[in-house]
Amino acid sequence: MALVVAAWAMPSGAAWADEATVAAGAAIAAHGTVVGRAACSSCHGQDGAGQPDVGIPRLAGLSTYYIHEQLGYFASGARRNYVMSSYAAALTPAERREVADYYASLPVPRNPDPLPVAAAALDHGRTLFLNGAPDKGLLSCSQCHGTDGLGVGSFSPRLAGQSAAYIVDQLQRWHGGADRDPKGQYMRAIAGRLDTPDMRAVADYAASLPRDGGKP
Amino acid sequence: MRIGSALAGTAASMAALAALATLVGGWGLPWSGDDAKPAAKTYEPPPNSAIPEGKFGDEVRLGQNIFREPGTYAAHYVGNDLRCSNCHLAAGRLAGSAPMGPAYTAYPAYRAKNGHVNSFEERLQGCFRYSMNGKVPPLGDPVLVALESYSYFLAKGLPVDEKAPGRGFPELPKPPLPADFARGGQVYAQHCASCHGPDGQGQSSGGKIAFPPLWGPRSFNWGAGMGSVKNAAEFIHANMPLGLAGSLSDQEAWDVATYMDSQVRPQDPRFTGDVQETRMKFHNTPTSMYGRTVNGAVLGDPAVTPPAGTVPPAASAPTPSGEAK
Repeated sequence: MALVVAAWAMPSGAAWADEATVAAGAAIAAHGTVVGRAACSSCHGQDGAGQPDVGIPRLAGLSTYYIHEQLGYFASGARRNYVMSSYAAALTPAERREVADYYASLPVPRNPDPLPVAAAALDHGRTLFLNGAPDKGLLSCSQCHGTDGLGVGSFSPRLAGQSAAYIVDQLQRWHGGADRDPKGQYMRAIAGRLDTPDMRAVADYAASLPRDGGKP
Repeated sequence: MRIGSALAGTAASMAALAALATLVGGWGLPWSGDDAKPAAKTYEPPPNSAIPEGKFGDEVRLGQNIFREPGTYAAHYVGNDLRCSNCHLAAGRLAGSAPMGPAYTAYPAYRAKNGHVNSFEERLQGCFRYSMNGKVPPLGDPVLVALESYSYFLAKGLPVDEKAPGRGFPELPKPPLPADFARGGQVYAQHCASCHGPDGQGQSSGGKIAFPPLWGPRSFNWGAGMGSVKNAAEFIHANMPLGLAGSLSDQEAWDVATYMDSQVRPQDPRFTGDVQETRMKFHNTPTSMYGRTVNGAVLGDPAVTPPAGTVPPAASAPTPSGEAK
């Protein structure tokens, strides 16, 4: 727990990246570190846009602390994912930091063209995102991710413009009690109070939010 | 933030509240991660979809906007980075987090804090003066009318009763050990710092405060209800950490409340010019750390205490009422 506290206590927003680590991270993202294995960019793109429709998350726009922390959890097995675990474990701690610095340094790509979502569902998602559902004991997403879904420092990731399919997948994993990371205890408690239509609605709403907090 | 002057009243009323809490299964439960226990149904405010159309509905919506973002919708009265909804969770709807509906039905009421019977509007003025470290809106001000309208809307269906279900914060038993600043610091580092920051100054999302500062110049001042260790312990135990309410022990809640309420924060606006005199007049209770010495420093010492009522001059002109979201 002490380690976790130390990691959480890192100053948010302060840059720890420099040009050298970003350049090294760009090389890892483009070419990987093991000959014959796919690199980060094969799935997440060199621009960090991900593949929203199939649930591969956008990395550009996430904080370097968050990406670095999650890579560590994938590597240790604290966060289980059959694809990411082996990739993260193949990177040294320094390489994980470099690749995190790289993706965090990128401009946030435009939101993908949204799949059609019924207005009523989007409205439901907006209500859950901003107000929660006090009758279900459900906190609002905005309480921890910000009213514009931009995330909070090292604590919570940006959701604005993130892949809806990815958000639904994560919510379903938490709902099922999946291991993620020590902070996953919060999301397990939240997701346990969401049914599948709620998850879809809230994910669609988050995906529809402007990537930079501005007007859509 | 402290709505329940009744809570500080007679032992009988405390016993009644405790009994009620037992009856309904505890107020902290709805937000806990424990799915085995159903959410307690104590106070069910109407949803936003029940806000009527028309002029009154517009007031309710404006009141809700002020409640969520006072720094935007009531900027000329707000002197810090807090929102009403930081302590009155779920925008004033959550039982056990000083919800606005049961507060509305409890006024007019006598308050020992100022020694007379307060209207609901006067009670709201106190929030701006102390919790928001701001300026007091005059009675009848559009900000107070909107907040009163929102509170009335949230009170629909409740009895006119100062002990309406869900009111205030649930009573918390005294801790097994005397509350301790150092132990509280450990609890803070483990359970609170990830959101509120290691230095208690909160964290932002895209430039907007997401997790409120708990002390320092942008937090509530020494006159606020949350400056009472008892109130803070009750609130924390029932509601914190967000999403994991009820996970702290009684002892941890008292310890961390003591830690939070032993930090530097803006001066009590009733400051007489002398810390100990101010303590005797307004803080003469074991649950206030004002005037006490912690780590060699006297809390409230004007040499290191930020001023009360710090509304920036740029915000002194009333903001347009704004379109309700």
